[in-house]
Amino acid sequence: MDNQRAMELIADLGEKSGGEYIFDRKYLLDVTGELHNLLLHLVKGLNLIGENRYLDLYPALDRLLLPLEAELRGRLRLSGELPYVIPLVDLPLDRPDLTGGKANALGEIIRRLHFPVPPGFVITTRAYRRFLEQNHLEERIHAWLEAWIAGEDDERQTARHIQYSLLAGVIPQDVAREIRRQAEAEDGEVFWAVRSSAYGEDGELSFAGLHESVLNVPPKGIFEAYKKVLASLYSPEALIYRQKMGMIGEEAAMAVLCQEMIPSQASGMLHTLDPAAADPDCLVIYGALGLGRTVAEGRAADRFLVERDSPHRLKGEEISPKETLLRPGAGGGVEEAAVPPEEGQRPSLPESARETLVHWALALERYFKRPQEVEWALDAAGNLWLLQSRSLLVPKPAAPLLGDIRESCSHYPILIRDQGNVAHAGVGSGPVCLVTSSEDMDRFPEGAILLTPYTAPWLTRIIPRAAGLIAERGSTAGHLATIAREFRVPALVGVEKATEILKPEMEITLDTHHRLIYAGQVKELIQYELMQATVFEEAPEFRLLRRLLKRIAPLNLIDPQDPEFSPAGCKSLHDVIRFVHEKAVQELMDLPRFLKRFKGTQVWTLVSEVPMDLKILDLGGGVEAPAQGSRITMEQIRSLPLKALWAGVSSPGAWSTEPIPVDFKGLMSSLTKTLAEAPGVTPYARFNLAVISETYMNLHLRLGYHFNLVDARLGPDQVHNHIYFRFVGGVTDLTRRSRRVQLLAQILSRFHFKVDTKGDLVVARVLHLPQEEIGRRLQLLGRLIGFTRQLDIRLRHDEDITQYVEAFLQQYSPPGDGPQ
Amino acid sequence: MTTQKLKIMVLDDEPIVCNRLKPALEKLGYEVDTFTQSIDAMQKIQGTVYDIIITDLKMKGIDGMKFLQEAKKRAPETEVIVITGFATLETAKESFQRGVFDFIAKPFKLSEIQQVVAKAAAKIQQAGG
Repeated sequence: MDNQRAMELIADLGEKSGGEYIFDRKYLLDVTGELHNLLLHLVKGLNLIGENRYLDLYPALDRLLLPLEAELRGRLRLSGELPYVIPLVDLPLDRPDLTGGKANALGEIIRRLHFPVPPGFVITTRAYRRFLEQNHLEERIHAWLEAWIAGEDDERQTARHIQYSLLAGVIPQDVAREIRRQAEAEDGEVFWAVRSSAYGEDGELSFAGLHESVLNVPPKGIFEAYKKVLASLYSPEALIYRQKMGMIGEEAAMAVLCQEMIPSQASGMLHTLDPAAADPDCLVIYGALGLGRTVAEGRAADRFLVERDSPHRLKGEEISPKETLLRPGAGGGVEEAAVPPEEGQRPSLPESARETLVHWALALERYFKRPQEVEWALDAAGNLWLLQSRSLLVPKPAAPLLGDIRESCSHYPILIRDQGNVAHAGVGSGPVCLVTSSEDMDRFPEGAILLTPYTAPWLTRIIPRAAGLIAERGSTAGHLATIAREFRVPALVGVEKATEILKPEMEITLDTHHRLIYAGQVKELIQYELMQATVFEEAPEFRLLRRLLKRIAPLNLIDPQDPEFSPAGCKSLHDVIRFVHEKAVQELMDLPRFLKRFKGTQVWTLVSEVPMDLKILDLGGGVEAPAQGSRITMEQIRSLPLKALWAGVSSPGAWSTEPIPVDFKGLMSSLTKTLAEAPGVTPYARFNLAVISETYMNLHLRLGYHFNLVDARLGPDQVHNHIYFRFVGGVTDLTRRSRRVQLLAQILSRFHFKVDTKGDLVVARVLHLPQEEIGRRLQLLGRLIGFTRQLDIRLRHDEDITQYVEAFLQQYSPPGDGPQ
Repeated sequence: MTTQKLKIMVLDDEPIVCNRLKPALEKLGYEVDTFTQSIDAMQKIQGTVYDIIITDLKMKGIDGMKFLQEAKKRAPETEVIVITGFATLETAKESFQRGVFDFIAKPFKLSEIQQVVAKAAAKIQQAGG
């Protein structure tokens, strides 16, 4: 099955982004190549059964596949379609080659961590290249650099030549227009901080302080400031640094970050580790009055020493007397001013802001996996802003590691070893917090280890706050695992008995590199990880994989009734697969035509105590061999998913919350009678059909006005197992229908489905659970289909929803954690 | 690891493989040198004996097969672990069973290679002591 194989490849790619595997570029090429072939095959197949009514899929595939190929081919190839200027809030992730290191990090902070960052925009490296092109500088810079390397010029002469020609350059009109548009997008007279964001800067290499920042720039000064920052790429110091780092042969590129000036009453820096101090358990904050340059320049500043561990006690405080401060000048630039004597003794950072800052810094360190240097500012109203965050260069520990790291940690008791699958690699430490219901979520402490019986999708919300994730059940390809990877949270799933062994509030350290869970905070390991030379998430191959995944994995097409549900609406390869699958099933539902085209296909009619007119089409192995005639009973069905679902459908009481009616058959036949037309229901659904094999089922049920679709695979290998459930329609007004949607969503969520709703549509998915777990959920769906069938009329008020949810759960409690 | 650190060479023309294997093995107490050019690796083994060599097969310049033959000739006690793409794994196994400690198909889990290296290390230490 091409469909299945393609989905497996996508899941595989997702898993590879978690750091547990070593892969190479060749693997990425191979997998995308195979996906390419599979998709072409799928599209061809659909056009075959659909008599070429889906030819639009070919251009859609091209549109998606071409950029993928470009990503794979190109290294630092900035295609013509990339923008010159991008607002900070829209910054693409994983494109430091386009936006520079500093801006890339800010983009992640805005998108992932949601800390307040002054608004602004980035002038990309593509604009820089355009600038060079327009001014014919590329060749000349190259020649000057060569002369320097050859020893003909010294770095000062070289720098002077290059910087002069950059400053004298003309900004291309198209670039200037874009800059002006962004700069004018802000209301009122905004002043700007214009900073360097070089490619490579703030990445593995630190160019800290090498490049220019121009503060408090009036709008009309942006262009000059822009050129000044560009020119700083070729300062003598920057040249020497790049030469020392062996980067002179590579193309340098400068993006420039423009942010609104924060007229700060105080500002400063925070180091999450204090390289100077002996105490590795503390972080240190520096603060001064006014604008931030004071601290960076090493002038007198307040110094606060704060414990890294909760509750982050203040260990030391040195308030230095402040006589002068920097402040924005009226017409631009900065000026020094005297501090009134009574102000000079006041701490630059009040306690509440300090607490917020500490919490940000530790979250930044957790996310970037490196000790951080954080720049902050406190505005006149007392609001704290994050200006930037970069890796803090810490001197290597004097003594290199002797022997196995695990030996250095051997005095900590190991609670669990060699259990589960790695969803995201890393080390995290904190108190255990068991979450089984949404009430637990609200009291989840920042930096705790999330412990859960299932990787339920509703847990998504707390992942950014977690220092680690441990789940007893679930898949590394599931939604929660994907989110853990996005937020770089170390995650281990499938850890048996985790909720028995790990108790709430117990302090533990999770090492998913070695699949070990230690009791206590393993300082040796945490320090070691922070000091390690490379962070896999930052490696170019991982960035590439994440960029590929963004074009491959997200599912956007959910509702087949949506006008966007079309070849043109496909935004990812997953969407194409989804579209093809949906349409293939629709083609199949036109059974008479299908049978005419594929002569000799046997279709059975199910005879059952639940009298619905169900047709069965066996793809192989779904039906007991010697089935005679055209009628079949449940005993002759071998399809595991259909059997599981039917156990729910036919269980006593499944079709009503009231006592089973005497005239069960009569009632059922009136309710399951297929109606000619109903609002919101596709016209092809005029009968009930199950397409099955031994481990697969695609079931369409039209019950009254309700239209159910269940697509499921159920077999011994849990990696292949899934359920996709869709429910739409209803006879009453939209309010009541939406109540039913909420009811379904609530129940399904408790059974760990990922649920999406829209209007009167419910889509629920679950992935990769073991056979018996998928079986139980199919049985549940069987009951649920019956239960909700007649609820429209009963759900008169919103409050009724809870009541019916409870009524249902009383009969049928969720697995693992009981009713919540 | 009790006494001397074992020396490991990693040779793969894709930097990501070297960049990830180095810290992952150093963490377990090995001394690790990495090479992305087989010619540099070839030069290195002229003067240095490694306890374990981890090498890819398909590389530009001198390919892995030639390299590991040379390495084995110079130091027969060196244990060689071959890492190669899934597609070439079977042919690789067929063409040179002799002298190779183990084969691993790429992509592989870090824990997988750590286990194989630990086994090779155990063999070396047994032979040595």
